[in-house]
Amino acid sequence: MKFILMMSAPKENWDSFAKWSKEDFERNAAFMRAFSQELRDSGTFVASEGLAWPNEARVVRARSDGEPITDGVFPESKEFLGGYWIIDVEGPEQAYRIAALVSAAPGSGGKPGNIPIEVRQVLSAFSDPGL
Amino acid sequence: MKYILLMTGTRGGVDTYRAWSKQDIDSHMAALQSLNKELKNSGEFVATQGLAGPDEAKLIRGEKNGAPVTDGVFPESKEFLLGYWIVDVANPERAYAIAGRISTAPGPGGVPTNMPIEVRRFAEHAPRES
Repeated sequence: MKFILMMSAPKENWDSFAKWSKEDFERNAAFMRAFSQELRDSGTFVASEGLAWPNEARVVRARSDGEPITDGVFPESKEFLGGYWIIDVEGPEQAYRIAALVSAAPGSGGKPGNIPIEVRQVLSAFSDPGL
Repeated sequence: MKYILLMTGTRGGVDTYRAWSKQDIDSHMAALQSLNKELKNSGEFVATQGLAGPDEAKLIRGEKNGAPVTDGVFPESKEFLLGYWIVDVANPERAYAIAGRISTAPGPGGVPTNMPIEVRRFAEHAPRES
């Protein structure tokens, strides 16, 4: 079963993140690299990406003539996706255990961030995009 | 430049979608599949996935001993990811145009859903697909 593990946070958390020391950033990045490598070694890794900062985020709707209307204003409570992992595991319990490992990634000062990770099943029925 | 186009909705929105007629769902999916083919032909297509419904969503934190703490209660306003497209395009405007196309996919009675699509760029330093 494929699951996506999503790390999201409101803008204010991104602002705090931007103030981390270089050492904090590097410690966190090293943890994330090691985590992805463990997933690869265990054969559960499918994909992982980190997203650019929320200030670049746009929401797009179509105008009646089909032209895109872009908007960059979001409610303060808006949760911005920061990054994700897609894993292929035996079942949800294994996905939750792996998500708990990411949740412990070191934050400012090296303390575990204890960040919430949203876990969702990826539908195999949609893996064929109709090509 | 790689972008991810995120389609999100509240639990209420998903319930409304589930009440669509089969014909409405079929024409919606057909429009999206046709867009997928176009993106494949233009070389901009990277990936697309649909996610299982919000009722199965869980929020996980790690305890001190590393055991997962599972929570399935979300605020009513919570925007759940329903599906996404990853595209490799020349510039952000092209990503916006593709998102606009997704937004025009037909809803009930063939009227465009006009649903909002969030467009986000991938960070360059991130690990890539294996």
